[in-house]
Parts: sequence; structure tokens; C-alpha cells
Amino acid sequence: MELLHNLAVGFGVALTPANLFFALTGALIGTLIGVLPGIGPIATIAMLLPLTFHLEPTSGLIMLAGIFYGAQYGGSTTAILVNLPGETSSVVTCIDGHQMARQGRAGAALAVAALGSFFAGCISTTLIATFAPPLAKVGQSFGAPEYFSLMVLGLIAAVVLAHGSVIKAIAMIVLGLLFGLVGTDGNTGGTRFTFGITELTDGIDIATLAIGIFGIGEIITNLTQPQETRGLVAKKITRLWPTGEDFRRAWPAVLRGTALGSVLGVLPGGGATLSAFAAYALEKRSSKHPEQFGHGAVEGVAGPESANNAGAQTSFIPMLTLGIPGNAVMALMIGAFTIHGIQPGPQIMSERPGMFWGMVASMWIGNLMLVIINLPLIGMWVQLLKVPYRFLYLAILLFCGIGVYTVSNSAAAVLLAALFGVLGYVFTRLECEPAPMILGFVLGPLMEENLRRAMRISSGDPAIFVERPISLGLLIAALALCVLVALPAIRSKREEAFQE
Amino acid sequence: MSLGEGQSNLPNPFWRMLARRDVLAGLLFIGVATLGLWLSRDYPIGTALRMGTGYVPRLLCWILLGLGAVVVVQGLREAQDVRPLSSADFSALRPLVFVTASLVIFGLSIERLGLVISILLLIGVGAVAARALRPLETLAAALVLIVLSWGIFILGLGLTIPVWPEW
Repeated sequence: MELLHNLAVGFGVALTPANLFFALTGALIGTLIGVLPGIGPIATIAMLLPLTFHLEPTSGLIMLAGIFYGAQYGGSTTAILVNLPGETSSVVTCIDGHQMARQGRAGAALAVAALGSFFAGCISTTLIATFAPPLAKVGQSFGAPEYFSLMVLGLIAAVVLAHGSVIKAIAMIVLGLLFGLVGTDGNTGGTRFTFGITELTDGIDIATLAIGIFGIGEIITNLTQPQETRGLVAKKITRLWPTGEDFRRAWPAVLRGTALGSVLGVLPGGGATLSAFAAYALEKRSSKHPEQFGHGAVEGVAGPESANNAGAQTSFIPMLTLGIPGNAVMALMIGAFTIHGIQPGPQIMSERPGMFWGMVASMWIGNLMLVIINLPLIGMWVQLLKVPYRFLYLAILLFCGIGVYTVSNSAAAVLLAALFGVLGYVFTRLECEPAPMILGFVLGPLMEENLRRAMRISSGDPAIFVERPISLGLLIAALALCVLVALPAIRSKREEAFQE
Repeated sequence: MSLGEGQSNLPNPFWRMLARRDVLAGLLFIGVATLGLWLSRDYPIGTALRMGTGYVPRLLCWILLGLGAVVVVQGLREAQDVRPLSSADFSALRPLVFVTASLVIFGLSIERLGLVISILLLIGVGAVAARALRPLETLAAALVLIVLSWGIFILGLGLTIPVWPEW
């Protein structure tokens, strides 16, 4: 009954005209940017982050969540229609979705993706509402040593489950932690790594870092690649409704995808991308007609699309209840909370129930809005796909610039973002994933704070981390993950899994 | 695009070895770590019980230094042509320079020259980054974007950005 009461509170907040408006605006803008190829969800959120800073916290976060799943949805539209994934989590949707579109079934593919995502969104929102309160209770019993170990585990797991070199990813995390420490040390009042620049004494703003690394870096990377030719398959989408056969084959895939995505989303390093890849592999393995995959199998759209939406939503659970971001998008969310003066963590639910439950309720509303935005308005998004990149990048560049400037009305921030853009480009070229860096950046000050507190509890004895059972368990889990990845057998399996 | 092109320009095997992704990445980490250690040389370290300003930063820099070294060694041990840099990696100067420059100019001009002129500057310089844009197209894009940003940021969000130059 408590659940119903909580949801009632949430819908009370989410259904106010203002918040409905912001959820809709967020979902619309998110879809708009998400549809554009060449802009990933991290860049989208980073770029639009400043827009939400000027709103009241609850509305701002509702809008930001809307932007996030809007971008998610928009990416699949692009994947199906032009065979260009707007984001990594819709890479697998390209495989069968685009084949369906070529066979004249673009409408069916889009509808299956949208309805599957909506179903997954409903289930995962319910999961958040059910599991967040008990998890927050667990979180509240954690002391500083446990938190520190939990963050170590979270960071390591995020790296292991992501693709690419593990050592490089850990180095990127450490780099992020260092960037997070720039500015004034809250404990001693000393300044660190500020180069004597006044603007840096408050630290680097997460919007500046994210817009630079992801937004600007992505523009430079895209411009250095040969201009893509976009084969838009369907000029006009007819027949949106899938056939009975499509439905019969899609719904079990939707169920499997939702279940898989919901579980994988909660894991650190999980979230939308991992869920989508895993779901595609699962569908292909369990299908009676694996030979149809790659040639427009409807399961290959339904499974991954449901999974990536479920994963995207459940990745909110560790962020909202423990304050630990599982992926870069959640790290940006934490950044947004912090800018509104709210520290995400177990206390958020009891201290700001209206905001917490309002956000959860608005996720469900947002998912419903997305079905409406995506299906009947699909023609509008198709038009948008025709805008050439040589115009798009100018618009993105400008909005990145204005966005960074408006965060703190600081011209220095714009220069800093330009610098991070160059850095982001260099990272991409050297195959250093920048996503783990954002995780480290957000957790840097928190880890230092908890390390200090733990040391104060133990009078400076680092053994405290292994003497406390929960902390020890978390550290062992982190170590086990490291060892597992280092094993040659697992390593080749892991590479194989990401190949698929 | 095949790789040999970019690499064959490099004079000797030593430089060719350095031009591998992992080696460069490792050197980058080592460089940042060294810079960090040098910058934090005067920060008070304190003790584990009472950590000073420099304790955690220096600890992290040492870790980064170690990781960077491992990455370099891994890169050097890799077989010759696993994932070499392609010549495309070296021909990115144009977008890199002009995208960055357009932002820097925007940052420097927005407070003094106002939104309209700084957008014109950003678009003008930014358009050079991609060869594909004709002057008239650029102008049209700039006008559309000026109206759009004015509508969103000034009218919609009510931000206090100067629109025109302050005389």
C-alpha cells in the first residue's frame, strides 16, 4: 500500500501542468536531437543540461529525464530509417530494423520498437518504484568505508562491462577523478590544479567538461570522417500498424528483452547499450529461425529495443538510491542534481519524496508521451533526417557554446570547453573511451570525502576497509572482477561478446 | 584507407613505434600524471589520518603514472600492425583548428560584442572547418541560428546575455 501512496504523491507532482509541460518539452527536444545522426545521448544530454539549470529542481530533473529517454527513442528511429545509429545502444537495431525498412516494413519496425519500449518502460518504472525504497534503506546503513568500497566496485565494474582496453579505461577513470579534484578542497580550503585562474577555484563544471569532451569532441571527430551518404529508405511511411504475425513473434521477444534489460540496467557499467547487445544475442540464440536475423527479423528489433529502454530506466535505481552512477548518462544526472544543490543518495527519498516520486511517475508519463510523439509524428522526424550534417554541426557547435556560457555566465568556461573538445578528439583517436572519465569526475570529490571520513573513523588505519564485512565483500567483488577480466579465456570471450 | 601511408612518412622505426595508439595514450597519461605531480609539489600532504590538500591528488597521479607505464609497455609489445594509426588520424587539423578557434572566439566576444555578432563570428569561423559550405548557405544558417537562439535563450529562458555590443 505504501507503493500506491508513493505513486499517488508522484503523480500528484508529475501531473501538474508545468511538470507535464517540461516532461513533454524534454521528450520532444530529446527526440529531436536523438534523431539526428552523429550526436550520441551523452552529447545530447550534455548539450541540453544547461537548459534545465534555470528551472525549479523537480521540473529541471523531470525535463532532463525526458530528454534522456527521448534521445534513446530518437536513436532507434534513425537506426531503422537510415541505418545510422544515433547512439551506441541502437547499433543492433540497425541490423534487422533497417532490413525491415528496406522491405517496405519501416512502419511496422518503428511501431514494434515504440510499443516494445513503452511496455519495457512501464515495467521498469514499476521496478524502480518497488526496489528503490528497500535499496535506499540498505544505502542508509552504509558508513564511509562501505561507501568508498562501493564506489571502487562501481567504477571497476563499469570498466569491465564496457568494451575496449580495461587498463586504459581505469586510467581514464583516474584522470576523471583528478579532474574532479580541481578547485578548492572543501576540507582544507587549499586550491588544487587551478593554475591561478579564478574561474577554476570553484572546480570544473560538469556541463563544461561533458559538452567539451562529448559535444565538441564528437563534432571534430565527425568532421574528420568522410561525409557519409545517407540512404533514407522510406520517403513516406505507410502502414504503421504491424501485422498479426509481427505481433505474435514480437511479444515474447519484448518480454525477454524487458527482463534482461531490467537486470542489466541496474549493474554498474550496464544500462542501455549492454542491454541491447545482450538482448540481440539472446534472441538470435533462442530463435528457431536464426538464419532470418540480419534479414529483417522482427524479434531482432523488439528484443533489443525493449531491453535498451528497460536498461536505460533501471540504471536510475543505483543513481537515485545510492548516489552511484552506473554509466556516463547517470553521471551527468548526478551532476544536474548537484547543480540544483541536491546530493543524490539514500536520503533523497525521505527528504524530498515529492521530487523522487514525481520523477518516477514522470518517467511513465514520458514513455507514454514518446509513443505519441514517435508514431503519429514520424513524418516530421523523417524530414529532420534530411538536414545535412554541414548545417547540423554548426547548430550543435553554437548550442554547445551558448550552453556552456549560460551555466555560470563565464567566458572562461567556453574556452575551457574548447580545450576539452580537443582532448575529447585526442581520446577518441587514441581509443580511450571518455565515458569512464565522467564517472570518475563525478565520484572524485565524493571518494575523497569518504576516504577522509573512513580514515578519521579508523584513526588512519587503512585496514578498516577489509575489517568491515560489507566493505570487504565489495572490495573482494571488485578484485574478483579484475582477475576475471585478466584471465585469457574470459578475455577472448569478452572480446567475442562485444564483436557480436 | 590503408595504414601504411600515414606511417611510411615517419622516418625511422623508433618513431613508427611511438606512433601506435597505445603508446601515445600511455605517454599522454604519463604526461598528465607528471604534470600533476609537479603542480602539486607544494601541496601539503598531511597524514592518512589528517589528509592534506595534496594527499589524494598525489596518490592519484602516482596511480595514473603506473597505469600509463603499463599501457605504454602493452603498446610496445603489440605485434607490429595490429591497430596502427591511419593517415586519417593525421589529416584532422582543419576541423580541429577551426572548431576550436570558433569556440574560443565566441567565448572571447560574447560579453563585449553581444550574442548576434558572436554568433556570426562562430558560424563564420566554424564553417571553414568543413569544406562543404558555400558562403550564402553559411549566411543563411547564421541568420536562422541567430533567430533561434534569441528565441530560446533570451525570449524563452529569459537569460541575461547581452544581445548587442555594449558601447
